[in-house]
Amino acid sequence: MSYDDVEIEDMEWNEELKAFTYPCPCGDLFQITKEELKIGEEIARCPSCSLFITVIYNMEDFTDQKSKSKIDQPKQQPVAVA
Amino acid sequence: MEADEKVKVTEEKQELWSWGAGTEGQLGTGKLQDEHLPQLLPVLPSLSLLACGGAHVIALTHGKKVLTWGRCTSGQLGHGSLVNSLEPKSVEVLNNFNITHVSAGWNHSGFVSECGQLFTCGDGSFGQLGLGDCVSHSSPIKVSHFASRRVYQIACGMRHSLALLQGEHGDQVYGFGSGKRGQLGISKEKLKSVSLPQCVFGLQEVNVSSISANGDHSAALSSDGHLYTWGRGFSGTPDVCCPNRVISHFSFKQVALGWNHAMGLTDDGDILMLGGCHHVVLNNPEKEILVNEDLNETQVKKIPGLNGIKVVGVASGSEHSVLTTGKHFENGVIMAWGWGEHGQLGLGDTCDHTCPQVVSMAQNAAHEYITSKVYCGSGFSFVVRAWRPKQP
Repeated sequence: MSYDDVEIEDMEWNEELKAFTYPCPCGDLFQITKEELKIGEEIARCPSCSLFITVIYNMEDFTDQKSKSKIDQPKQQPVAVA
Repeated sequence: MEADEKVKVTEEKQELWSWGAGTEGQLGTGKLQDEHLPQLLPVLPSLSLLACGGAHVIALTHGKKVLTWGRCTSGQLGHGSLVNSLEPKSVEVLNNFNITHVSAGWNHSGFVSECGQLFTCGDGSFGQLGLGDCVSHSSPIKVSHFASRRVYQIACGMRHSLALLQGEHGDQVYGFGSGKRGQLGISKEKLKSVSLPQCVFGLQEVNVSSISANGDHSAALSSDGHLYTWGRGFSGTPDVCCPNRVISHFSFKQVALGWNHAMGLTDDGDILMLGGCHHVVLNNPEKEILVNEDLNETQVKKIPGLNGIKVVGVASGSEHSVLTTGKHFENGVIMAWGWGEHGQLGLGDTCDHTCPQVVSMAQNAAHEYITSKVYCGSGFSFVVRAWRPKQP
């Protein structure tokens, strides 16, 4: 079970880890590399625990040449009602 | 202060206990490892308040000085470096001030002085330090935005902060940092982030007595016991951009926020939970998350298994909670429940628990235990237990 769905723009690039990261509730960081994103991986794992998150992103943004086939659109986040 | 009380305070001593995730040194044990059972720590100066963040701890002494330890990757310990500290270390920059309130966020920290000055340090990437930019600082910097107005409390969440200013009414609560989930409460729309404090919308008529932040949640308690929450929605409900009063006939005296739940402690000593869909199911892939069917109504639920036990204090980590009971129930015990993968429940294992379980802490026969205060960081827990020598 994915802990959360997180948009790639809400993840932070960590130069030391060479990965996009997002806080994990255990205190460590969920991590996913550019290489993983390039091949369509959408699970970012935490090295310290069993939890993982689903990363919402557009694979085309990470492939060198534009892909021919249409990639799945990112899932819509719930919209706030003011 | 009454004469009797003065005597009591001078005789009172403290034990400091910690357990849970410890690989960043946040447990203060001097080791870089998780602990599944409560660990008794070396004696510190008498503490008035602890604040636990993502993986760091801020301790405020009765002498109004600040000690910090744990992770320092963004400078959140305020030591002027980016070096983690396995042991409590003084924040020297603040030694010239009398600090009266502190808060620890994911990777940032806030300190309030007796004169109402606010200082922040650590991760500033989202403007959560309130300094007008997105720069991180390894030493506490004064937030000059409030000029001569006095800050009373600070609350640090994952990527945002709230400040409570002195005064009975009016512009009392301010938000800064990430507003992606509505957690700033400063506008009817979600804002990516702001780096200068802005007034929270809709609390002008409320006399706010305390504020809380954790994850992407924010909360305020009014002096008449009303609980307001805003930010990320609980249990799949939509995010809320402005403070929303929790509809309940109970009067609340304390609130503890997690990353997906809120615990409200009522005047009668009962605990009510908002959200909490993850609180017990993280380690169990078989269980499905129950999504609230009525998306516009955040459900308030009673905690199962407490059976009338009266609670005097509650704290929440990201996905676990710890409570302390009054003297009338077995002379005051600590109970923990929720996610347990790092031993943060202190029960000796890594299991999750839906119902609060008693945490066993060694007792010294020569000590008379008075009160316990509970605190939680993301994946770890702390207890400050006050005692005095038993009268012969």
